Order: sequence, then C-alpha cells, then structure tokens
Amino acid sequence: MLVQDKDGVAVIKMDERLDMVAAPALKEAISELVKANKTNVIIDLEQTKFIDSSGCGALVASLRALIKNKGDMKIAGPSHQARSLFELTRLHRVFEIYDDVETARLTFRK
Amino acid sequence: MKTHAGEEADMVIRIESQSKLLLLRPLCYFVRHLLEQLAPTVGAEDICNNLELAFTEAYTNIHKYAYGSGTTGTVIIHIHIRPEELEFTFEDHGLGYEPCCVPPPNLDKPAEGGLGLWLMGEFMDECAYTRTPEGRNILRLIKRLPADADSS
Repeated sequence: MLVQDKDGVAVIKMDERLDMVAAPALKEAISELVKANKTNVIIDLEQTKFIDSSGCGALVASLRALIKNKGDMKIAGPSHQARSLFELTRLHRVFEIYDDVETARLTFRK
Repeated sequence: MKTHAGEEADMVIRIESQSKLLLLRPLCYFVRHLLEQLAPTVGAEDICNNLELAFTEAYTNIHKYAYGSGTTGTVIIHIHIRPEELEFTFEDHGLGYEPCCVPPPNLDKPAEGGLGLWLMGEFMDECAYTRTPEGRNILRLIKRLPADADSS
C-alpha cells in the first residue's frame, strides 16, 4: 500500500488484494490522514484483483471516518470482481466509483 | 470433471493448518490456481472469483470468530472435486454459532461487518453448518458445476 499526495488529494494505492490482511492497514492509513487533516481521499484499486467482505468493511469504515471529518472518498479503477461485489452488496450506491485516479481526482475540484 | 490437461479431476484434497492470518493468502492462492486447472466451465473467471471469495470468507470467519483474532487453532479443510460439484468442508474446534441467529445484512445500511456468511450463501448452492457434540464446527459449502462441454 502506498499513500501519495496529488494536488491536495491523498491517493492510497492498494496492493493486489484487499482482504483481512490489508484491511487494518487501510484503516490505519485513513486514521493518519484524518489526523493530518487530509480528508479528501482516493482509494486506487487499479492493482487490486481481489476484494472480500473485510475489504468492503474497511472501505465503509474509511468513508465514514472521512465524511465525519468533512472529507470524502472516491474509488478508482476497481476490477471486474470488485465491481461485481460492490453491486451485489449495493455498495456501488454508497461509493463514488471512477474508472481511474485522474478522473476521480478531477471530481474533487468541483 | 476434467482438467485442462485432460485428466479426470475426481479427487479429495485435505489441508490441515493453523488458523493464522499469515496462511489466508497462500491457501486462497492455492485454491485459485487449483480452480484454474479445472475445465473451462469451472475455470471461468466469474466462477473462480465466487468460489475464491466463499473460501476466503469461510477461512476468515474461523480465524476471526471461531478462534478469535488473538488465538489460533486447527483448521482442517477438504476440497472435494466431483464430476458434478465442488465442495469445501471446513472443520475447526473454536466457538460455534447458530446460523439462524445471524441476521442477513441490511444492504441499505452498509456496515463494516456481517457480510461474510451471507456472501457464502449467495455464491454457493449449499451452505450447511453443523456443531457436533464433541465441539467441532463443520461448514460444508457446495457449488454445482456446469457439465463439461466434452463430457459426452
């Protein structure tokens, strides 16, 4: 997992899997960003081939923490597997999902 | 059920391990690669994804709930590949639960947890849990498989 700043937006690049192994690290990264008052965040899933319920839970927790601190979260580049899971669990209605990081980043300017 | 190499894949694989988080990914990679060796009907991406997810959820639940994240215990996994179906059986000696007392998730109110059991039910054709008198939890997950195109 890699956290980068792109024009004031924090981009968290996730690894190949967002599961119970990776979920705590994502929540910790969000917590650190909130402490630093960097609450506009993009979760970059372009490298992430697989996501499970622990990953979905971490994304829900992240979104809640960011909104609570007057920020927002967008998801970029989810795989077919991730999109299918978001649709099945109706999380596609909760998350703002974009095809890539750049498109997601531009929406923070509006 | 045949493999891509044309072998009959009627078999049972038994794995005995500790319920360590460290082993989640290696076990899932093994299952994924195994599924991809089976006939194209099973190895199709969507079916592989769903079976891998069900396997992941079952193992995660044992680690997280049956034994609790702070402790480990033994997990015995059987993977049965039959001509018409694939079955995962998970056995552990951790805390049991009453499936009927686990409410389905309210998908209109997203929560951080509570999706795992429901997802297993969504992706598998059968999902049966038993608590034996000796204190073993046995979870059987069965997926009926499409017939091989060349089985005739």
